[in-house]
Amino acid sequence: MNRRPFPLALIALVVSLGLMCGTALAQTPKRGGTLRVSYGNSISHLDFHTAPGYEMMWVAMNVGCGLVNMTPDGKFVGDAAESWQTSPDHLTYTFKLRKNAVFHDGTPVDAAAVKFSIDRLKDPATKSGMRTFYEPVHSVEVLDPQTVQVRLKHPYGFFLHMLAAYRTGLVIYSPTATQKYSVEDRKQGKPEAVVGCGPFRLVEWVKGNHLLMERFDKYFIPGQPYLDKVMIRLIKDPVTQMAAFKAGEIDFIASFSPEHVSTLKAQNPGAQIMTGKETTPMLATFKITVPKDGKPMSKDRTPHPIFGDVRVRKAIGCYGIDRKEIVKIAFKGEATPWVGMIPPGTMDTVDLNSTCPYDPAKAKALLGEAGYGPSKPLTFELMTNTEKSVFNVIATVIKEQMSRIGVTANIRLTDKVTWMNATLQDGNWDMYVEDLLSLVTLDSNAYLTTTPSTWNQGRHTDAKVDEYYEQYARETDETKRKAIAKELAEYMLDKMYWNVISGSPFYMVAQPWVKGYTYNREFEVHYNPVWLDK
Amino acid sequence: MRVYVIKRLLQIVPTVLMITLVVFLMMQSIPGDPVVALLGDAYTEEDAEKIRHAYGLDKPVMVQYFIWLGKLARGDWGVSVLTGRPVLQDVLVRMPVTLELVVLSMGIALLIAIPASIIGALRQNTWADYTATSMAMVGVSIPEFFVGVLLLLTFSIGLHGLLPSSGWVYLPGTCPNMVCGVSVWGNMQHILMPAIALGIGRAAILTRLLRASMLEVIRTEYVTTARAKGLSERPVILKHAFKNALIPTVTVMGLQVGFLIGGAIVVETLFAMPGLGTFGIDAIIARDYQQVQGFALITALAFVVINLIVDLTYTVLDPRIRYA
Repeated sequence: MNRRPFPLALIALVVSLGLMCGTALAQTPKRGGTLRVSYGNSISHLDFHTAPGYEMMWVAMNVGCGLVNMTPDGKFVGDAAESWQTSPDHLTYTFKLRKNAVFHDGTPVDAAAVKFSIDRLKDPATKSGMRTFYEPVHSVEVLDPQTVQVRLKHPYGFFLHMLAAYRTGLVIYSPTATQKYSVEDRKQGKPEAVVGCGPFRLVEWVKGNHLLMERFDKYFIPGQPYLDKVMIRLIKDPVTQMAAFKAGEIDFIASFSPEHVSTLKAQNPGAQIMTGKETTPMLATFKITVPKDGKPMSKDRTPHPIFGDVRVRKAIGCYGIDRKEIVKIAFKGEATPWVGMIPPGTMDTVDLNSTCPYDPAKAKALLGEAGYGPSKPLTFELMTNTEKSVFNVIATVIKEQMSRIGVTANIRLTDKVTWMNATLQDGNWDMYVEDLLSLVTLDSNAYLTTTPSTWNQGRHTDAKVDEYYEQYARETDETKRKAIAKELAEYMLDKMYWNVISGSPFYMVAQPWVKGYTYNREFEVHYNPVWLDK
Repeated sequence: MRVYVIKRLLQIVPTVLMITLVVFLMMQSIPGDPVVALLGDAYTEEDAEKIRHAYGLDKPVMVQYFIWLGKLARGDWGVSVLTGRPVLQDVLVRMPVTLELVVLSMGIALLIAIPASIIGALRQNTWADYTATSMAMVGVSIPEFFVGVLLLLTFSIGLHGLLPSSGWVYLPGTCPNMVCGVSVWGNMQHILMPAIALGIGRAAILTRLLRASMLEVIRTEYVTTARAKGLSERPVILKHAFKNALIPTVTVMGLQVGFLIGGAIVVETLFAMPGLGTFGIDAIIARDYQQVQGFALITALAFVVINLIVDLTYTVLDPRIRYA
């Protein structure tokens, strides 16, 4: 009999057990340390209900808390609310709050605080950009200190999505601190005024330099956060960001420039480069109408002299643009060529790429139908801004593609503020290249697309679009909602009111010793589960 | 002399005001609305109108300027549209950073320029002279940004974090808040690369100018006389030649302050320093008129005061120069 296999099997078993224990130990979060984060843009200010910008949102999500959160796979989990119920008619949402949820000033996160916060967001005097999302809310009632009920005017299929993930989501304000300190105190980041119920409390903010948060020991999730502190530094230049990352001076970059990702990967093989399916659309938007009387924002509209004609929009946007080539050049292949208005990573997305294949011959034919050709060449201005260098690259590629179909596109490069003025204030432009906000759901871009919205930059006047959005928002049956989304996306594509080129990839980068961070989407940066394995 | 100084100080007022007026009018002519930047993706026309009215941005341009002037006379530099913070507060917080950068950059420039120019002048047409001249050419040709990136790659990455790549540690007494990194050594580590990046270009210009001046001065009769009297070379060069060669250089140094402030914008952005440079550029990009005016005012003041000091320095360098 051969006795050798037994000792070998025993050794193998012992080694396996050892490895398993080692792995388990390595996964146990370590408490302590300071996470050093880099932001590429300034935080605008710290009144979370009114400040614009991703950088503010990323602070709000860690200093503040809401009612619910959304996981990367779209499930809802409780934040300050431990449970909730929806009435069968979808008009009433009742939230049960955690008993141990308190603000950083020690006051309880109770139903009154939730009511106070939602009422504040709805109040026009607050001037919150979130107000439009609360339009369906009829009233908020305090049933008891731990129970708050929200009544809607009509069913709103995305109420929980909105609370969890539209921009900051709901950030609950402490009524005590809000009434004691002014908006200016909050905007300027006075720690005693910026009171949240999140895992970190604000220690200091020096605008243009750094923001420091420290662990809030009474955070309602036991054991979290693991980090002692989070130090956020402003490093605008991507070369400097890479240098700081390479030198080990920063642990996490919340938004990293896509064109430098391959360089960073090469310099830092151990770096964790996190991304996901694109939820931000990259657009080449047309101006559809112009004011008839020449007065900006006039309700009296006439079709844009070039892109008021849907044949021209389709010729240029549908068949004249080679999206694959743009993605290859501008994003080095790291984006999804896309045609539909719902980005690839957004809920209820629809792949409509086959509807608009690149076809220069068809583009020329359509232009010919619209009266353009060698005897009457089409020329238009293609505007973009300096916020991201990729916009200019895309504009340049489009210019070259237009020349293949006998069209001249003259690029106008502006800064972001000038671009916003031109597009939001009904200025003089023909087409622009830009990306927009990350879209959790199609509903979250209603304020960018419906006819009365300031952000309806193309200024289309098609009320059918508004009807679609309303139907979609009020539909609570998932299957029916998907069907509406598909119909809306197809309609928008048929009319070319949105001319999507691709998804816009988003990257976050972490050092190898940063553990526990989960990439969700561009808006979502949560430091409470993060720990440092060093 | 006292009268001269008082006259020059009084001249500062209309000079600085003229600069602020030109800057104000230029800002108004740039397309873009600060309220758009303020509201960002929360922009609605309704809210924008309310904010414009609250900040007086809906008033005629010259009315806005005179309102600002009236507040300035009372020591109020206005409030930033973007941050809601008093502009003067932000200027005072950021000034020490840029002041330190500019002074140290000029110091580094002189540290390089003085020996290089003296050696170049004394050893004219030798390898020492050619080296100094060539390095001056290179220094003038390379932009501050490029020098900064090279320094970053060398000292922060190549030498494994010998110097920090970015950020700021305040000198004791200059920290604006309670929780601050304060340390002389830390501050030196953070300022060194930015100061070198900014100073090298200035060193190059000063080297060329000072060398040319030195060459002219060492051939003068009084220098020949000094040598003939038996003085050793060191006092001849340093006390007689160098002091006189410095006069045109000091003039250029005063003018270089303007370039240093401009260069500070680039260097502060690259090294993520919270100075007036980044303050100014952020203000221009966001069309924050109050902040831009504050930036224009402080830089104009700095420029005219430094040039006054330069003019007064002549009297020290050349006792023949006296102001009535």
